[in-house]
Amino acid sequence: MTRRDVLRAGAGVILNPLARASAPQNLSYPLREIQGSLTPPDLFFVRDHFSEPALSLENWQLRIEGRVAHPRDVSFSDLLELPTKKVEAVLECSGNGTHGSAASNSRWEGVPISFLLEPAGMSRDAAFIAFEGGDTGRLVQGPSDLPYTQIVPLEKCLDSASLVAFKMNDLFLPRRNGFPARALFPGWYAMDSVKWLRRIVVLGPNDRHSSFFDNGMDRVYNRVTLSADGIKVKRLSSIQVKSAVAWPPDKMRLPAGAYQMWGFAWTGTGTIREVAISLDDGRTWEPAKLESSPGPYRWVRWTYKWAASTGDYSLMSRATDSQGNQQPLQRDKARKDVYELNWCAPLSCSVR
Amino acid sequence: MNSIGVRRSVAAYASLLALTIGPSMHAADCAANTLGPQAANRRLEELGKSAQVEMAQRRFADAIRHLKEAACLAPNDARIFYSLGSAQAASGDFLSARKSLAMADRLQPANPLPLVMLARVNASMSDVDSLKATLSEAAVRFATNSDLHATLAQFLLQNKLFDLALAEALRSHKAGGATAQSVMDLAVLENTVGAYDDAIRNAVSIENQTDLPATLRASAAGIAGLSYESSGQPESAISHLRQAVQLDPSQENSYLALAFLLEKTQQYGEAADVLEQARAKLPRSTQLLLPLGSDLILAEKYAAGIDVLQELVHKTPNEYEAYLKLADAFRKTGANDREIQILIDLENQKPDYPNIHLLLARALLNLEPVDYAKTLDELALAEQGSPLDAEISYLRGRIYMATNHSDEAVIALRRAIELGPMDPGPYYQLGRLYEKLGQTQMAKDTFARMQYLKSNTIQ
Repeated sequence: MTRRDVLRAGAGVILNPLARASAPQNLSYPLREIQGSLTPPDLFFVRDHFSEPALSLENWQLRIEGRVAHPRDVSFSDLLELPTKKVEAVLECSGNGTHGSAASNSRWEGVPISFLLEPAGMSRDAAFIAFEGGDTGRLVQGPSDLPYTQIVPLEKCLDSASLVAFKMNDLFLPRRNGFPARALFPGWYAMDSVKWLRRIVVLGPNDRHSSFFDNGMDRVYNRVTLSADGIKVKRLSSIQVKSAVAWPPDKMRLPAGAYQMWGFAWTGTGTIREVAISLDDGRTWEPAKLESSPGPYRWVRWTYKWAASTGDYSLMSRATDSQGNQQPLQRDKARKDVYELNWCAPLSCSVR
Repeated sequence: MNSIGVRRSVAAYASLLALTIGPSMHAADCAANTLGPQAANRRLEELGKSAQVEMAQRRFADAIRHLKEAACLAPNDARIFYSLGSAQAASGDFLSARKSLAMADRLQPANPLPLVMLARVNASMSDVDSLKATLSEAAVRFATNSDLHATLAQFLLQNKLFDLALAEALRSHKAGGATAQSVMDLAVLENTVGAYDDAIRNAVSIENQTDLPATLRASAAGIAGLSYESSGQPESAISHLRQAVQLDPSQENSYLALAFLLEKTQQYGEAADVLEQARAKLPRSTQLLLPLGSDLILAEKYAAGIDVLQELVHKTPNEYEAYLKLADAFRKTGANDREIQILIDLENQKPDYPNIHLLLARALLNLEPVDYAKTLDELALAEQGSPLDAEISYLRGRIYMATNHSDEAVIALRRAIELGPMDPGPYYQLGRLYEKLGQTQMAKDTFARMQYLKSNTIQ
């Protein structure tokens, strides 16, 4: 028994290495530090819009209202005593770079959103749901701070995998990842998985939810495409198929030898079917080995045995999912936004 | 999930409760009642007394038989069904117990006891979904019964069902009328789940109540200290843990936690002092010895540290970490032969101790003159357990360098780089080797790679 075990046994204590945060954070960590497939909490990326709120378990409540027959407040005790579901899923920041590590994979536990909505009695014209966090601020000029808010179509909310999550990797959420509870929409970009959840509002097809629109949230997280027909704007939703090389890092210099390239691949549509590796800037491709059987929502670790001989290399990985979606080799030139950066950007590696 | 699916899932959950509700005693289970009202009452009284005695004597089968007969005579008496359920639970017949208790609950819905017993039965069956359903039912019907929720929290805590214990502790707190112990339980659970501000507030409120027992206040101070530590406030943490030690010098965990924090802030001498103080108060404790020995060594009080750890190894030979701390102390004091001996002792004690052969190989390399053949043997054994451990190849490379087997050294060091390409160590040794071999350009390239790895440019 270690000393830490003694402390735990004595007081049921977890010594949390995560320091308290006061300002909005923007943190990510090299993927190569991840052992296995689950991202540990201290390596999970963080993208805040506003400062972390200080929430108390004792008075935390999730208000469910809007187009419902019975508005209700759900306490943390209620959440803990409802049936829960576990889902292993990737969360990825929609603006994650091509080599970026603003993507993490955890085993989440929470109460299906549908389960919380049912007793409230949604009206027949319910079409969307607004999710508000306990963090407030201003994205655009306005008279007052507003809560961070996202609006999600009802169909996605009623998916059995969509949760009000309160655990990741079997531990309660760290504060910076949304303690005590957050929305979780597996397969969708992370901005919709609202942290520090406080309020759920059921909306009709034409309802205008002020904290979303007045804070300019409708102007971000959109796919903007310029074509001959003009500009098309579409709200981001499903994660685009993507892979990342965890090792070697960009600009690595190695002696000739036998190495193992590795990384992760994920998609919001179906499951990962294959990952291919190119050592020559995409001219030729060879299959990588998937280290586990792919499943929906979660990422899969891949490896590639590389007999590296002397030369300069341009390394790329390319994932294809079960629905036939494949990472593009370059960014669609018609795109005028900064999201869904899933093309196969090369890494350079010098072997001598 | 479509709306029908949602309804189904909710209905399925609700049915967990309904499952247990239904007539516990079917007419077919009861013999025809031929007794008049007075005789029936007398028989009921007899049956009740018998069952009471049988329960006390743990003759559960007899008690169940008599209580079933009683239930036939008085099918609307909640107390009989409650007793029957309790007897069935005690006998291990949880399914029947659940039915009887659900019946008792239905007959007397204002009484929370059947639900409490039902929760216990569901917990004994490890039926978490049913347990949650019972607790939710209790929450709806007895929302303001603080004692009930505190009782449930205590029971769940004892059964290590921490999430549900937290739920009930929060309900008890919200209902008001919380006792000092229930606030303390809540603080412990809040600390466990990461609600540090809540835990600190509750724990400090107990710590500051001078009319409460010192033991409870000390525990509260300890929890406050740990929550402060977890929320990144080490000075407050140390202050509260010192207070915990002062309030109740017999609590070993307070000393251990305080020493741990002092060690984390590199105050090794102070950490050792705290643990010496603990040892004086708790001379029989063996839990203190490992951290004490470790802190003494970190404080460079090697002789004292070695004495403590040797005492620990003598008293508790399976405290494997102590062997490693001792090996560390011997290495730091230049007693390499003793370092090797203590690692051999560890190997004898636990032959499959992780990396034991690698540890021995490292130690053997520090002994003058180095027995290279023996060290290579240890590395070969280490490789059997961990064939992809880069350090094995690295040490092998160093041995071949030292024994002028340059070709083998190059192969070993390159293998070390293949297995651990982010570690600058093998690059450095390989660069030195190329230098020695007169391969200037190779040496330059290899040193450049090492510098590159050290330059923090890799993100």
